[in-house]
Parts: sequence; structure tokens; C-alpha cells
Amino acid sequence: MTISAPRDRVEELTVGGGARLEELVDRESLAQLAASFADLSGVGVRVFDAEGKLLADAALAVELMSYLMTLRQAKSAVESTVSSVKNLDPGPVGQASMDGVSGGRYRVVALEHDGRRVGRLVFGPYFPPSLRDIPSTLIELEPNLDLDRARGLLTLAPRVTDDAMDRMAKHARATLDVVMFSGLRALLTGSMHLAAVRESYRELQSKQEKLQVAYDRLKELDRLKSNFLATVSHELRTPLTSIIGYSEMLLEGIAGEIVGEQREFVTTIREKGEQLLGLIKGLLDLSKLESGTMSLRKATMEVAPLVRDVAQTMAPHAKKKGISLHVALEPALPALWADAERLRQVLLNLVENAIKFTPASGSVTISARAAAMAAAGGGGEDGGLVLLGAQRAAVQFRVADTGIGIPESERQRVFDAFYQVDSSSTREQGGTGLGLSIVKRLVEGHEGTVHVEANAPQGTVFVVTIPLKRATLRP
Amino acid sequence: MQLDFVNRELTIKLVYYGPALSGKTTNLQALHRVAAPGSSGRLMTLETKDDRTLFFDLLPLSFRAQSGLAVRLKVFTVPGQVIHASTRRLVLQGADGVAFIADSRVSETQANTDSFMDLKDNLREHGLSLRQMPLVIQFNKRDLPNIRSDEEIAKLGAQGREPVYLAIAMRGAGVVESFIGLLHLTWSALDAEHDLGRKFGFDSTEFMNGVAQKLGEKRTTPELLAACVGGALDVLRPEAAP
Repeated sequence: MTISAPRDRVEELTVGGGARLEELVDRESLAQLAASFADLSGVGVRVFDAEGKLLADAALAVELMSYLMTLRQAKSAVESTVSSVKNLDPGPVGQASMDGVSGGRYRVVALEHDGRRVGRLVFGPYFPPSLRDIPSTLIELEPNLDLDRARGLLTLAPRVTDDAMDRMAKHARATLDVVMFSGLRALLTGSMHLAAVRESYRELQSKQEKLQVAYDRLKELDRLKSNFLATVSHELRTPLTSIIGYSEMLLEGIAGEIVGEQREFVTTIREKGEQLLGLIKGLLDLSKLESGTMSLRKATMEVAPLVRDVAQTMAPHAKKKGISLHVALEPALPALWADAERLRQVLLNLVENAIKFTPASGSVTISARAAAMAAAGGGGEDGGLVLLGAQRAAVQFRVADTGIGIPESERQRVFDAFYQVDSSSTREQGGTGLGLSIVKRLVEGHEGTVHVEANAPQGTVFVVTIPLKRATLRP
Repeated sequence: MQLDFVNRELTIKLVYYGPALSGKTTNLQALHRVAAPGSSGRLMTLETKDDRTLFFDLLPLSFRAQSGLAVRLKVFTVPGQVIHASTRRLVLQGADGVAFIADSRVSETQANTDSFMDLKDNLREHGLSLRQMPLVIQFNKRDLPNIRSDEEIAKLGAQGREPVYLAIAMRGAGVVESFIGLLHLTWSALDAEHDLGRKFGFDSTEFMNGVAQKLGEKRTTPELLAACVGGALDVLRPEAAP
């Protein structure tokens, strides 16, 4: 059996050659239907497909026929009738009759579906009531015929008028027509379902391919951008090192005493050089983080000294702006498995930002506390915690300020590279918009998270959560 | 089209296309009602939900020409709802002619346009162009208020190349006219391409008149064809070919 593509199948069933009888009708059910018909009418029935294959056989035992089958001559005559009936063509009118040697009659009816012959129904043998006696042909044919016995059996044989046979055949045909129609509909529906699914799948796949091409192209462009960034940053840094180095040497008086405005100018050159170097380092960091070439040197580290160190570093800066800087540490914080230098960079960046965006007489607080965060696979908020894995113990750093705050709609985007909430503030506050994107990548490098919350009544809190080395159940 | 030389049998696929709820199934039901019992099989409706077609409807019609050629017409509808795009494309495959059933209401103008563009796209997917496809357009629901006026349709129809028919499919009005128009165009195109008339000693006029009769029509084919508004009925006939 060959299986054609579903869309071709639909085509074949509707416009093409159509379905075969066997496909439309369940064979076992057809046999039951035929048996039930034979039971009701008292006439046997056989169903053949278009190729003459027998699909259902509900022949009834007619004793007269059984008796004739025991006789030599009669037997071969009966067999020849049966075989001619099997191949009898119902002709253009769709039905034909044939009389056997016993006087029994057979009726052959064409089964049509969608204007095509799909099979035949063969009824019989039945005996028309007009048949009063055993036909003389049979008496002449079979020398061993027991005429009395045959006559007795004839009275028991099924008697059906041609008229009644017409109606019964019509009914059987109509019944099968309904069955075939329903069968075709089911077959078409199934094929159509399959074809529609295939078609949708094909459509999705071609869209998917286009998306993949676009995605690959974008990824390649992104990689080129990172490469460019890395190359340019590197090339910028080399001459800058000389500029800073030589201005430092000038300030140290190596090339002779410098005085007054000279010192002031050279100091400015050095400071701006340092600033530029910081920016270039940031770019390099970002490109390294983006290309995944930055390696984190993780080790066991204590949290408290790190936070205090950051606060100490930033204290002069805060003091200069008239901002109070606080540290709040939970006692007995667990040690982290992290790159201390990079974590320091993260906190410095956040605190520097906080100071930058907080007006004079405001305050900035750095705090750290033990916390828990969702382990990979979600925190089981929707249930199934026992399967999804436990919460992971973590340390949470919070850098809170009383500054200008970040609108909720912007909170996600502040971590995008080069993004600044208010572009006009760039001039006022300075900065490149790189810091937070580096922060985010560094935190993610530690499997941690960073997000922004509002500080009551005013300001912003940056929350960094870094998980501990091993997942443990929340106490 | 499927041609069976041995049994002298020709099968033609006609598709009723159009936006959702424009009356495609109603057209088929009306044809089924008027068709003589010997000419029409059962109207098969494949999968519906809330009276909306999900897959397609199929009305088989068959006619025998005097030359002995059996012509089987398979009339399909597509599901109109936008989401069934892939099913529409499947049903459209192998179509020999298309009747586009438009909703006459002014509010449905955009839906008609969208569906027509969808037809164009789907034909292109099958490597066919709208230009090659025998096509009639039916403006259905002429009995409703707020419809595009007869004058407007006549004016636009006169400029277009497809014959345009007005119909109230619910009452059967305009249904046979549209069908005969479509069959005429389709037959002309197939005949021009395959030279069927000569191969089968087929008399088109006699055949078309026979079909109209079997659809309960007393009018002759030219009278039925003349019911169209604008368009060119002989656009695809061989003598009209460049």
C-alpha cells in the first residue's frame, strides 16, 4: 500500500479517481449489514468491489440448493450459474437478473458512488412465486434427481416477487450510499486535517528559516561591533598611556620645575587623560563581556570588608558633594565565591552613580544582607518547588539613594549599553551610559541578578543579588 | 482538470472564494436546491463550527454531453475566516475557475479587498496568476441595506475584465447566472488550452444549454450570460487570444 501526501489524497478523493469501496466502508460492519439484510429479507446477499473482490458474504442456506449440490450433474450446473452471476455486468441501467438451473433467481445491482461504479451487490437465490414446479431443464439434466424430495424442498425455499426484490435492492443500495457518503466525509476530514497541519507546519518552517537567517545576520553584526569596539579601545589606550605618563612626569618635575598655571594645565591634562582611560577601559570591559572573553577570577571572599572598602573609597567624593554615605551590614554574612575585584567594580559603579544623581544634603546607603534567590528553573512560585529545586542562598547588596529616581518604565532599560534615562542629563551629570551595562554583565557572570527599585519617599535602590557557591535549602 | 480518456470523463474543479460570511456556502446550497436529482450529488460539508465552514463544502455536479463525454464539476467553497489561510490554499490547489463572492455591504469593502488579495497571493503560491484564472465576481446580499449601489458596481464592473454578477444567494437570485458565467469562462479556457471540443466532438453551446436546463433554467445560455455587469465573457476564448 502506498501512502500519498495528504494534500494529494484530498485531491484524489474529490477531483481524482475517488475512493474505493473498501476505503469507505468498514468490512466487518459491511458483513454485519449484509447479514442483517439477509435475515430481514430471507434472501442471501454478497458484496463485491469494483475489481470483483468479495467484501461481504451473507449467503443463506437454501436446502434445495444444498440437496442439488449432492448430485453430480446438478452440482456443476449450480456452480456454473454462481460463477456467471459473480461476473454478471449490471449494464448501463445498473441492474441485471439471472436464473439458475434450479429456478432460483439472482439479482445483480451496481453500487455507484459519486457517479462511478465502486462495486456490486448480488442477491439470491430467490424463487419467484410464479415458479410452481421444479424446472424441466433440471429434471432432464440430473438423472438421479429425487423429484418428490426436490418438490418438497422447493416449498421451503424463499419466495420473493421481482417487485419486492426491486424495492429491497433499492433499499440496500440507499443504505450503502449513506454509509459511503459518511465514510467519504470522514476520510476527507481526516485527510484534510492532516493536510492542513502539514501546510501550517510548512508555512511555519519557512518563516522560521527566514527568522533564523535574520537572527544569524544580526548576531554576526553584533560580533563585528564588539570586535570593532575592542580594537578601537585598545588602539586608543596605547597613546593615552603615553599622554598620562608624560604629564605625570612633567608634574613630578622630571623635565624641570613647572609653576603656576603650567601645573594647573598639566594637572587638567592628566585628569582628563585618566577620565578618558576609564571610559576606554569600560568599553574594553564591555566588549570582553559581550564576546565572553572576560574571565572572572573567583575565590572565597568576605562581604563586609568589600563593602567597607567601597564606602571608604567613595567617602571623599560624597563629602565633596555634601552627601552622607552610610554602610549597613548584617552580622555574620556568609562568604561569597566571586571575583572580588569585579564585585568591587560593581559596587563602586553603583555608589558613584548614586552620588552623581543625589543632590547635596541627600544620603546614600550601601547595605548587605543574607538572602535567597530562585535557583535555575524558577523558584517554584507556581508550585512544584520540590521538583524544580530549592531557593539558592545569596547575599543581597543594596545601594539606596535619595536622588532624582528612575521612572518605572525605564528601570529595565538602564542596563542597556549607552542608554541614559534622560539624555539631557548627560551634560549635567556626565558619564557614558556604559557603567550599568557592565554592572549587569558582571553580576550575570556571577549567576546573580540586578534590578532597580524605587526608594521611599524619593530616590532609587539598585539591588544586586549574588548567590553562594552551592545551592542549599532555605532554612 | 482531470481527463480520463478511457472512460471519456472530464473533471473540472471550481472554487467559490471570498471573505468570511459572504455567502459562499449559501451559493452552493442554492445550486444544490435547483439542480436536477440526477445531476447533483449530496452537498458535503466538511467540519463546521457555529455554521462556519472550517475546511470546505463540496457539491458534485455531473452532466453528460451528447458526444458521450461525462463532465463532472466539483464545486468547492473555501473557509473565509482569515485564520484558515492554509486550508484556503489547499482547497484552491488545482482550481480551474474561481467565483469570488463579495459582500455588497459598504462596511465589508475592506474585507472583500483583503480576501481578493489573499486569493491573488494563494494563486501565486501555486504558481498561477490571477490573470490566467477564469474568474467571475459576485456581489451578494443585494437585499441588505447600506450596500454599494448598482451604479457604482456597474461603473467599476465596466472597467474591469471579470464579469460581475449581482445576487441574493439566500433567495437563489443570481446564483445560476454566476455559476453559468464561471462555467462558461472556465470551459472556454480549458477548451482553448486542450482543444477539448475537437478531441471529444464536444458542442459547447449544447453542453452549456444542457447544464442550464439541469439547473432548472428556462433561459438560454446567452441570456444567462448577459446578466453580468461589465467584464468580458470572451476574454479567454481562443478567438480572443492574442
